Amino acid sequence: MVLFSILKRSLSRNPNTKKPIFAAFLSSHSLNPLPLRSSFYLVRSRIRDPYGSIVFFGNAGRLDLSHFPPWFRWFSSSEASEISEATTSDGLTVDGIVAKGWAILDENEGDWKSHAAAIAQSIQLIKKRLQWKKMSVRLEQLSVTINKVDLWDDPVFAGRVSREHGGLMSKMKEVKGFEQDLLEHIDMLKLAREENDQDLESESMKALLNMRRTAKEKELEALLAGDNDSCSCFIEVQAGAGGTESMDWAAMLVNMYKMWAQHHGFGVTVVDEMPGEVAGIKRATIKVDGEYAFGYAKAEVGVHRLVRISPFDSAKKRHTSFAAVAVIPIIGDVSTRYQIKESDLRIERFRAGGAGGQHVNTTESAVRITHIPTGIAATCQNERSQHSNKASAMSVLQSRLDQLEMARQAQLNAEHTQSLTEISWGNHIRSYVLHPYRMVKDLRTNYEVSDPDSVLEGDLDGFILNFLSSSLDKDEDKL
Amino acid sequence: MISRLPISTVHLRRAITIASFSPSTATQPYPPPLFLRPLTYSAAPSDLAAFRRWATARATVDGPRLESSDGGPGASQLLRELSWLLEDATSQSNGKILMRADLDELYRLWKERIEERKPFQYVVGCEHWRDLVLVVREGVLIPRPETEMLVDLVREVEGFSEGLWADLGTGSGALAVAIGRALEDKGRVFATDLSLDAVEVAGINVERYGLKDKVEIRHGSWFEPLKDVKGKLTGLVSNPPYIPSSDIPGLQAEVGRHEPKLALDGGMNGTDHLLHLCEESATALRPGGFFAFETNGNIQSELIANHMSTKWANCFHNVKTVLDFAGIKRFVTGFRR
Ligand SMILES: C[S@@+](CC[C@H](N)C(=O)[O-])C[C@H]1O[C@@H](n2cnc3c(N)ncnc32)[C@H](O)[C@@H]1O
Repeated sequence: MVLFSILKRSLSRNPNTKKPIFAAFLSSHSLNPLPLRSSFYLVRSRIRDPYGSIVFFGNAGRLDLSHFPPWFRWFSSSEASEISEATTSDGLTVDGIVAKGWAILDENEGDWKSHAAAIAQSIQLIKKRLQWKKMSVRLEQLSVTINKVDLWDDPVFAGRVSREHGGLMSKMKEVKGFEQDLLEHIDMLKLAREENDQDLESESMKALLNMRRTAKEKELEALLAGDNDSCSCFIEVQAGAGGTESMDWAAMLVNMYKMWAQHHGFGVTVVDEMPGEVAGIKRATIKVDGEYAFGYAKAEVGVHRLVRISPFDSAKKRHTSFAAVAVIPIIGDVSTRYQIKESDLRIERFRAGGAGGQHVNTTESAVRITHIPTGIAATCQNERSQHSNKASAMSVLQSRLDQLEMARQAQLNAEHTQSLTEISWGNHIRSYVLHPYRMVKDLRTNYEVSDPDSVLEGDLDGFILNFLSSSLDKDEDKL
Repeated sequence: MISRLPISTVHLRRAITIASFSPSTATQPYPPPLFLRPLTYSAAPSDLAAFRRWATARATVDGPRLESSDGGPGASQLLRELSWLLEDATSQSNGKILMRADLDELYRLWKERIEERKPFQYVVGCEHWRDLVLVVREGVLIPRPETEMLVDLVREVEGFSEGLWADLGTGSGALAVAIGRALEDKGRVFATDLSLDAVEVAGINVERYGLKDKVEIRHGSWFEPLKDVKGKLTGLVSNPPYIPSSDIPGLQAEVGRHEPKLALDGGMNGTDHLLHLCEESATALRPGGFFAFETNGNIQSELIANHMSTKWANCFHNVKTVLDFAGIKRFVTGFRR
């Protein structure tokens, strides 16, 4: 194992001069070559195996990220800080491979070139999705900051910088490692052919095939690589103008998100709900608990439009209704959260009136908490005690303030999703048409389905994944 | 009627009550709270859905009427209660609906809620208060949301967690349990009540939270059962009956018809018990000891605070009124000199 990592390093760093050593090493074992190679593959497969198989998405709208593995890699930090371009022994790079335009054939057909081309293409896509160039620039900036002698004079800032640095580093290391693996396997394969070693050749082919499959998973993982993507979140829905029509529509949307979340095994709780006078809701906040809830749900931010024959209109006319959706991450890392001062809060009993105390029996104990300096407020009324309503309202308030803070800092990695007040009603993202034809169409991606019922029952993954990939893939200068 | 039950007697009575929830001392049988019953029953989803439809319709039709008649529950409050009733009574397991009461009982309970105006908390047999789920039943006041804050006030007192505390008129034991849970090794709460129902129910709650070593319940009037700790108390809290007698007939039906008068009626001005407590606090507390009382609000708080910082100025200092979340001066706090 130790030998192998030395080998691996020498091979990829200094391909031309070290090649003879590699060959010599191999040939010294050539009497009994298998043990070396099998232990090599054993080690490697142990690294890869825990990834397991990841069921990502299918027609039934299931998408399960709960067992996503940590991206485990095997590199020393000195290696990672080197962002030099990896090459094979004869100078081939990932971009070089793509440029060759080798045909990508079916997994079971074709030679190594087909695998290599497929993997190289995935690596390019992954880098694009991770916004590689921006990432590199940011990493450089952070490295400069981190090396300043007075960094720790401000421990909060220092902590944030070093966390961001560490996070970026491990993401980049991960991809670099994958890239290097590809080039090494190509080297191995070429070597095996030169040496006419069929065992080695078939093992290298197998390894390339494995990489090809892993690469597909990594492409999808890269869609959810944002800083807060793995967080739980709040989803807020607000009815647009148009009274009962749009309040009913807002309630339908809330229901859609509840069902979507349940399909994914996320926990769902209604935190706050303002019912409409006749039907539906004016506004609601639900909490979606689970890994990557925010990563997916953020694709839903914006105005949703419904066209249908209204059940509330006796003239059976066609109506168009609007509702806005905002999504707020619930940041797990306490140290990065907005620091709320107790004295900046105003806590009020919601809908209080009359004498209170012993005079009144009520199960209504809603609380509204206002952050006076920003005017941001949160309400919770669905818990069974005032204490719990207060705690719950506090967590909504905290997340809203975190969101505001993120917008203020506008850090590269802290993507910020619009709050309800920032969303412009003119800018709708998706249309749900129930009449005169039936269709749901996303106006950002043009993705559409002709079965609105299934969408309204929570089958949203097609829309979400299409949006996530298109928003990350379209932007050419991100690479 | 003033007697001090040795704690062992309370335990004995409680043991019987917990085992069967049968009427050991009371004249009426009290069924166990819904959420503590076993999942003995099951229901077809369609039958449960039918109940839900019926109950929803009743809530929507009757809610507005109850609300406008005497400030009772409105439709949206009743609907929320319905979802909590089902939360307490049912459990889903592999697509099957298991129940802690049969459907007939659920129909009966919901009728009692709406027709008899039985408080929801008595219907399900519990009240969620702070982070606790307290057992309650007729004969015991349902703890109010406002009262939660008394616990926060206590927790701000320096060294509270190792102190000796008293909760006078403990009712369901809400304050005693919440304070007891926050205490450390040496901390203790003595909780008193004149009502045997309260002593029994408080005992159940103390037991449910495993606080038998921290909270001692004593039967008797106010400070009567606390002679052995006189002058030693770190602090005391009380939410005594404070409603002026003349207000009692006009109370909303849930309170006036169902909750015990002994827990509500504070005499002509509502201040009979409060004034008695103030006076006694001067000798019950140790020097530097803390007190916090809940009152009927604004005028009553001011009156009490005024009394304590003028008439008993040589006994107390730092007397303050504290607002509840509705902006009403709900509490009076201070320290013994
Ligand atoms: C308003 S309730 C408060 C109950 C509980 N502490 C709470 O906050 O939910 C008042 C309590 O005082 C009790 N009480 C009334 N007169 C009393 C007396 N003379 N001595 C002791 N307790 C008394 C009542 O039985 C009742 O439990």
